[in-house]
Amino acid sequence: MRRVISIAIYALCAAIGLLAFLYPFLLPSTPKAPTAMAHSQDAPLTTAALVGLSVTALLVELQGQAISAKTVAMLGVLVAITSVLRFIEVVVPLPGGVSLVFAPILLCGYVFGARFGFLMGAFTLLASGLVTGGVGPWLPYQMFAAGWMGLSAGWLGGIALVRGKSSHRVRGLGRRELTLLSVFGFGWGLLFGAIMNVYFWPFATGPANQAWSAGASLGEALARYGAFYLATSLGWDVARAVGNVALILLLGAPTVRALARFRLRFHFEVHPRA
Amino acid sequence: MLDVRAWLLWALTVLVAASSCRNPLYVVLLLLIVALTDVSFSAEKERRGFPSLFRFAALAVPLSAAFNALTVHFGETVLFRLPGWLPLLGGRVTLEALVFGLMNGLVVTLIFGGFSVFNRVTPVHDLVRLAPQAFHEAGVVVSIALTFIPETNRSLNRIREAQAVRGHRVRGLRDWLPIVVPLLVSGLERSMGLAEAMVARGYGAVSDRSHPLRLQLLLAGGLLALLSGWLGWLFFPGPTPLALSVLAAGVCLVVGAVWLAGKEVPRTRYRSRRWRIRDTLVALGSVLTLAAVQLPIPMIGRDTLYHSPYPRLSLPSFHPLMALLLLGLLVPAAVAIRRRPR
Repeated sequence: MRRVISIAIYALCAAIGLLAFLYPFLLPSTPKAPTAMAHSQDAPLTTAALVGLSVTALLVELQGQAISAKTVAMLGVLVAITSVLRFIEVVVPLPGGVSLVFAPILLCGYVFGARFGFLMGAFTLLASGLVTGGVGPWLPYQMFAAGWMGLSAGWLGGIALVRGKSSHRVRGLGRRELTLLSVFGFGWGLLFGAIMNVYFWPFATGPANQAWSAGASLGEALARYGAFYLATSLGWDVARAVGNVALILLLGAPTVRALARFRLRFHFEVHPRA
Repeated sequence: MLDVRAWLLWALTVLVAASSCRNPLYVVLLLLIVALTDVSFSAEKERRGFPSLFRFAALAVPLSAAFNALTVHFGETVLFRLPGWLPLLGGRVTLEALVFGLMNGLVVTLIFGGFSVFNRVTPVHDLVRLAPQAFHEAGVVVSIALTFIPETNRSLNRIREAQAVRGHRVRGLRDWLPIVVPLLVSGLERSMGLAEAMVARGYGAVSDRSHPLRLQLLLAGGLLALLSGWLGWLFFPGPTPLALSVLAAGVCLVVGAVWLAGKEVPRTRYRSRRWRIRDTLVALGSVLTLAAVQLPIPMIGRDTLYHSPYPRLSLPSFHPLMALLLLGLLVPAAVAIRRRPR
C-alpha cells in the first residue's frame, strides 16, 4: 500500500513537471486560448509555483522515510564538496555550459540509490544557490531538474545491480557501466538545459499573445522554440553534456570506488544500553 | 538589518509585479526602485563599481530585442525585410516586435535585479532558518553543507599545495584527479566523524520513523488535485472557477501535509529573530504593491499595467495612482536612508 502511494507520488510529480515542460506549446492549441490570454501573464509564475509545490511534496515524501544521522551528515558534506565545485566554476569560467556539479550528483545517485540521489541533486543546487547568490524563481526548476537527475541515476544503479554481474556498490565501476553512465550523463546534460529553457521561455516570448494574434499553431510554437533553443542554449547544452561525459570518464571510476567504500563503512549501528 | 521574511515578501512582490506588468513606464519605475534599494543597501566600497544590474541589462535587453524582432513578424511599422527563404527569420522586421523584445529584456532584468538585492542583503543562515518545521532535516543538511563549504575550500587549497610541493601541476582535466579524490575521501572521512558525533549525541533517536499513511495520502491527493486542476484549467472550456478551486484545494492539501509533517516531532528554535516595526513597514509596502498589481481594485488604473505595442506602436498610458502604489516597494530603501549614521 505504502509503496503504491509512494510510486503514485513520484508519478504525479513527474507528470506535473512534464506539463510544466510542455504547456508553453500546448497553450495556443487549447480551446480557451483567447481567455487564457488574459491570464497568460501570470502563467510563468503559476508554473513556477506548481513546480515548487511538487518539489516540496517530493521532498516531504523522501524525507518521510526517516533520514538518519549518517545520511544527514554524509549528504551535508557531499553537498558541500559539490557546492565548492560550483564555486570554482563561478570564479574560473569554464567553456560554455560545462558545470562540475552534475557528474557528482549522477555518481552519488548511482552509488547510493534514488532517494539519496534526489536529495543530493536538490540540496546541491539549493546550497550552492544560497552561497553563490543564485536564489530566484529559477531555483525550483533547478532543484527539480537536478533532483530528478540524481533520482534517475539511482534507478539506473538499481537496474545495474538487479541485472546481476556488476557489483559497483562494492568494488567500483566496470567499463560497461562507465559507458552507460557517460551516455546517461550526456543525455541529462542536454535535458537539464531544455528544462531550464522552459523556465525562461515564457519570459523570452512574453505573454505569447503576439504569436497567437499572428495565428500561430503548435507547429509554429515548436519552430520558434527550436530557433530560441538553437540561438541561446544548444551550444551551452552540448558543452555541458560533453563536460559531463569527460568528468564521468575521468573521475567516475575512482570516485565510485571511494563512495562505495564509505557506503560499506557507514553501516555502523548504535545499540543503546537499556 | 531587516527580517528575512520581510525581504522575501519584498522580492516576491518584485517578481509578481514584474511579471504582471508590461508597461515600459512602470517597468522603468520599478527598475529605478530596485536600483535605489540596491545602492542604499550596499556597503560604501561596493558602491563605486558599475552595478551588476546594468551589466545584466546590457546583455539581456539587446539579446531579447534582437530575438523577438527577428522571429516575430507582426506589427505595422516595417523597419526592413529579410529574404523569405530564411526559415523563421524571413519576413518583415517591425518596430513593434523590437519594442516588445526590449520590454521583455527589461522585465527579465527587473526580476534578476530584485533577486540579486535579496541575495545580497539576506544572511544565508537566516534563510535556512526559514525552512518550515517539516523540512527540519533538509535545514540541517543545508546548514551542514554551508558550514562545511569554507572548510572544504581550505581543504582543497591544502591538497593543491601538498600536490604542488610534490611537483604536480594542473595542466589539463586529467590532472584534477589527484586533487579531487583526496578531497572527496577527506570530506567523507569528516562526515563519518560528524555522523558518529551526531549519533552519540542522540540525533534521530526520536524522529527515526516514517510518516503515517494519512500524510502520504494527503500528499498524493494534493498532487492529484494540482495536476487535474491545472489540466482542467488548460484544456476544458467549461467554467474556470471549478478548475481553479480544484487547484486551490491541491495547494491546501500539499501545504497541509507539510504542516502535518512538521507537527509530528516537536522541535525548539533558539534565538528567533525579533520582528520590528520597520519589518512591518516593509511588509505593508509590499502588500500594498501586491494588491495594486493583482487585485481587481477599481479606480487605480489597473488596465494601464499592460501595454501592448501591437499592432501599431503607441505611447503607453500612465496612471499616477498606480505609480504611487508601486512606490510601496521603496520602503526598504527609505528605512535604510533614515537609519544611516551621519
